[in-house]
Amino acid sequence: MSHRKSWILSIVGIVIVALFLFPVYWMVITAFKAQTEIFQTPPTLFPQNFQIDSFIAVMQGDVGQYFLNSVIIAGLATLVVLLLAVPSAYGLARFKIKGVSSMMLIFLVTQMLPATVVLTPLFIVFNNLGLLNTYVAPVLATATLGVPFSVLLLRTFFMGIPKELEEAANIDGCSRLRAFLQVIIPISLPSVLVCGAISFFFAWGDLIFSITFNRDQELWPLTAGIFNAVGRYGIEWNNLMAFATISVLPVIIIFVLLQKHLVEGLVSGSVK
Amino acid sequence: MWKKLRKQAGGYLFVLPAVIFMLLLIGYPLLYNIILSFQNVDLSNLAGGNREFVGFDNYRTVAEEDVFGISIKNTLIYTVGSVFFQVIIGFCLASFFSMKFKLAGFLRGIMMISWLIPMTVTALLFKFMMGSEEGILNQMLMTFHFIEDPIGWLSSPDIALWSVIIANIWIGIPFNMLLLSTGLSSLPQDVYESASLDGANWWQKLVHITLPLLKPVIMVVLMLGFIYTFKVFDVVYVMTGGGPINSTEVLSTLAFRYSFSDFDFSLGAAVANVLFIILFVISLIYLRMIKKDEAI
Repeated sequence: MSHRKSWILSIVGIVIVALFLFPVYWMVITAFKAQTEIFQTPPTLFPQNFQIDSFIAVMQGDVGQYFLNSVIIAGLATLVVLLLAVPSAYGLARFKIKGVSSMMLIFLVTQMLPATVVLTPLFIVFNNLGLLNTYVAPVLATATLGVPFSVLLLRTFFMGIPKELEEAANIDGCSRLRAFLQVIIPISLPSVLVCGAISFFFAWGDLIFSITFNRDQELWPLTAGIFNAVGRYGIEWNNLMAFATISVLPVIIIFVLLQKHLVEGLVSGSVK
Repeated sequence: MWKKLRKQAGGYLFVLPAVIFMLLLIGYPLLYNIILSFQNVDLSNLAGGNREFVGFDNYRTVAEEDVFGISIKNTLIYTVGSVFFQVIIGFCLASFFSMKFKLAGFLRGIMMISWLIPMTVTALLFKFMMGSEEGILNQMLMTFHFIEDPIGWLSSPDIALWSVIIANIWIGIPFNMLLLSTGLSSLPQDVYESASLDGANWWQKLVHITLPLLKPVIMVVLMLGFIYTFKVFDVVYVMTGGGPINSTEVLSTLAFRYSFSDFDFSLGAAVANVLFIILFVISLIYLRMIKKDEAI
């Protein structure tokens, strides 16, 4: 392809992406507008009166607590996912055990089921176990989104690692577990990280489990907080968009850091 | 013999915790949901107590409500409408970004942001942009004189469902694009070269080479899109809550409303089971498909 053509296509590409991501731009830019400017006609594409009052107003509210809750819930859920999924994927890839295909089927099918179907039964079970209004309920529930995804993705990855690596470790006197921990885990760290990040996104984005299991606002994550704020802030869209921007920030940061690996991982993890 | 057994046991120790976790948190609730739908459980007997077995009464009650038929229809329109446009637009973008120019991979990756933003936030953002007075969408359409009066994107019962679909299409485009891009990049290049030598134009190559070769990938994308869209809750719940006058009520929001607004858990379970059965059948078809076509 000629240099010139590549250059033109790049510009067209930038325009497409800019148009596509306009809603995200609009969210961020609205957060920096004054309340009066939002209702101005014609709308301003860049704030005439650039202000950070909305962020200050929102921070003085409950955002700090919501943010912390999101970090706790999504962080713990990610931990649960990795602790369960990494060994499981390894086992499914390496051991000749009975029922591998039916266990794979369990992960595939459970990945496709809607939260709504398990919501009511989980609510009743958690209620009977006294787990409602604790972090445990949303952590366990949102971990179910990441486990099957990670198992399916990591299994494919582990199958690609040459068996000789562990065999060599075995000859050197390593047990299977030690070989797994000291040889396999370190070389698969990028893939494990991708699974962790995606599980984190799943849990970070959850609304339904959190608002159902936790009536106690003190335990709400950002998504529940922002959903509730629609009523509270009414049409103060700049405050709401500041709230939204804050809740998106960690996701964007993780995405930028891991972009290349994430995109590849997403493809192989979802198609399998 | 002993060694082989030990080896197997070791394998199970690796695999089983995750399997048991999923069976406890998804498998068991699924079965429990079926039982619930045949009982009458509300707030009074939630923690135990007398739960009467009522047979198919809940299903009958649900089926007699107008909103049930409406929500099935809405779910179908929502799913088919979303998937159709996601795949078409996703395919166009995938074709564009599969041309090998400098920023292609980077730009394609950046678009994934829309998929990663929590759906609650996306839904709220579209609600803002679709506001009838202050919404940027109406403002722009009016500035360029496409419309004279503001459209009630979310307040008009005739339009609201399509407004929600638009938001959902936006969320799904990058993911469809990504899957289709992967498919496109795996197509054999020599077929295109010989077609070019034979004088085939762009359109002929698309219809006679790309689409037939890509068919298995397109089928997978369609099925996955159907499965993931059919169960969507957050977008609808946040943007419209099912209104105005049930015009955007889908099966998942209806199940949620029965269980957690009316606290009639058994009615909620019955609706959720209808959703489950439909999805289960589609999933089975999908599983058969990917089994037949191991290439994907």
